[in-house]
Amino acid sequence: MEKLLEIKDLKVSFQTFFGEVEAVRGISLHVNKGETVALVGESGCGKSVTASSIMQLLPMPPAFYKGGEILFNGEDIVKKSEKEMQSIRGSEISMIFQDPMTSLNPTMKVGKQIVEGLVKHGKLSFREAEEKAIEMLDLVSVPQSEKRVRQYPHEFSGGMRQRVMIALAMVSNPQLLIADEPTTALDVTVQAQILDLMKSIQEKFGTSIILITHDLGVVADISDRIIVMYAGQLLEEGLVDEVFKEPRHPYTKKLLGSVPRLDMDRMEVLHSIHGTPPDLYIPPKGCPFFDRCDKAMVICKEHMPEREYHTDSHYSCCWLNHSMAKKVAEGSEV
Amino acid sequence: MVEPLISVRNIKKYFNVGRGKLKAVDGISFDIYPGETFGLVGESGCGKSTVGRTIIRLYEPTDGKVFFSGENIYELSRSEMQEIRRNFQMIFQDPYASLNPRMTVEEIVGEPMEIHHVYKGHKKRNERVIELLKLVGLNEEHALRFPHEFSGGQRQRIGIARALALNPKFIVCDEPISALDVSIQAQVVNLLKSLQKELGLTYLFIAHDLSMVRYISDRVGVMYLGHMMEVASSEELYDNPLHPYTKALLSAIPIPDPEIQRNRHRIILEGDVPSPIDPKETCRFVDRCPYATARCREVVPKLRKVGEGHFVACLNI
Repeated sequence: MEKLLEIKDLKVSFQTFFGEVEAVRGISLHVNKGETVALVGESGCGKSVTASSIMQLLPMPPAFYKGGEILFNGEDIVKKSEKEMQSIRGSEISMIFQDPMTSLNPTMKVGKQIVEGLVKHGKLSFREAEEKAIEMLDLVSVPQSEKRVRQYPHEFSGGMRQRVMIALAMVSNPQLLIADEPTTALDVTVQAQILDLMKSIQEKFGTSIILITHDLGVVADISDRIIVMYAGQLLEEGLVDEVFKEPRHPYTKKLLGSVPRLDMDRMEVLHSIHGTPPDLYIPPKGCPFFDRCDKAMVICKEHMPEREYHTDSHYSCCWLNHSMAKKVAEGSEV
Repeated sequence: MVEPLISVRNIKKYFNVGRGKLKAVDGISFDIYPGETFGLVGESGCGKSTVGRTIIRLYEPTDGKVFFSGENIYELSRSEMQEIRRNFQMIFQDPYASLNPRMTVEEIVGEPMEIHHVYKGHKKRNERVIELLKLVGLNEEHALRFPHEFSGGQRQRIGIARALALNPKFIVCDEPISALDVSIQAQVVNLLKSLQKELGLTYLFIAHDLSMVRYISDRVGVMYLGHMMEVASSEELYDNPLHPYTKALLSAIPIPDPEIQRNRHRIILEGDVPSPIDPKETCRFVDRCPYATARCREVVPKLRKVGEGHFVACLNI
């Protein structure tokens, strides 16, 4: 499969009053054409920073790239000038955000917002633009699109606003869509509608999607691959079936065990993860999950484990999975 | 037959808004038995938080009765209410907004005891505060710190310690975990469960996360636009949902297992929740219901018994 996006050893930091926060600490991943990759992690793990750095949306300063490259169709985005980015942003790579109310302009009719980019770049005349906007609203199944196109965002409900956001993101038929917690602010019944819409749009246009979320149910629903992020680093990656069926990193295991499932027995104990994620002002030297892990060993504190591949597509970064490691029995305390 | 701890009878709470009456809660009745957890679920804006607040009279009710150990608390005077209110406590959703940033943890947890004059001296009170902190998994050193020094999960623990200060019988948990990360959610839920066992507490657990509600609750009520649609024991509701809304709600929750998720049949509801301002006197779900008939638009269905402890408000069942 062809790689659309490849991130190599990306490091992003923020310069703050208290010192440097290493938000993203050397991550490498890729996205193939037409697939959905889920980036999963807790708040503060750096998943949104990763997404914004692909779009170069981070305010610089305080943020800065400390190293690494982001290859989009083979070209390094990090080195691009702001002018060059403008032609990529919105047309080749689009983004939808968690809160559709704050990311739409409240003083502008939705139709105009959807086609604003195309009109600015002189691609469409005024008349064509409105037709295009109606066509986009039809695509995302907003009823009465001819009337709705002249309304303002406050006249739309949360789910409908998110549809408008998707229309806005899809208007120039981008190759990559970054969805940053697209359904977190929505109710479950509306969430189901939006996930269905995203699936059908992907089938139609073959868009690649990076889905950023903390909801493992959503991941299982629409993703092909899953990448688990923790404290600015990647701990595990694999096809959804591989990771959900056989998680290899203790963090992934715990994460899957800590959400109650509709089909589980009520008497089962929910596995909680004690403690909180590490402070990225003073990033840990070894494995970032060290002090919350039941199976931590001395080496974990000192050295970050390398990727250990279990199949071609599934790797995890844990000393327990190292080929030289002694087999540690499941559940035994170390 | 066990007597219910709380009996809610036909409570209503309307808010006057510019364009009419917002009927947040419109005639809801249910019982909560001692030692159980009653889960209340529904989408945002369905009135579940208003129910929680109206039951303990944080909102003055528009109509209805709530019996606590046989006494109608809506008829009590202000001073009588304060006396009885020590039995009810609340845990709030946002652990950032519900703790006063200018008070130390000791003051926050000690405040209810001060208001109700439980201890004469500071020393005894502070001992109790530390006991409470230990109960929720914090320790002595935390007592003199301020809320901003804590993470979300720890703050929620402080909120729980405060709620426990007066040895309440009944706690309204209003979305206590929705602002927390997944790994922290499990910590707080496990804490709530173990406290219930230890102290014999009764919970009203309000949430929109149905899988979490199923996990923690003994019985569950499903709300939609101010009405109760279905009440049943947790197992019964999830194994055998009867109301079309409950069915749709359950099928919309993604299960974190790709294999099961792919093969599930999902009921996708059209549209959004309608406005609760001056709603039509019909079944509230009628506009989104795939099985709606003409009769559904004429009468408001009453909650009626269809099985052992299973109640549904639908004309077609």
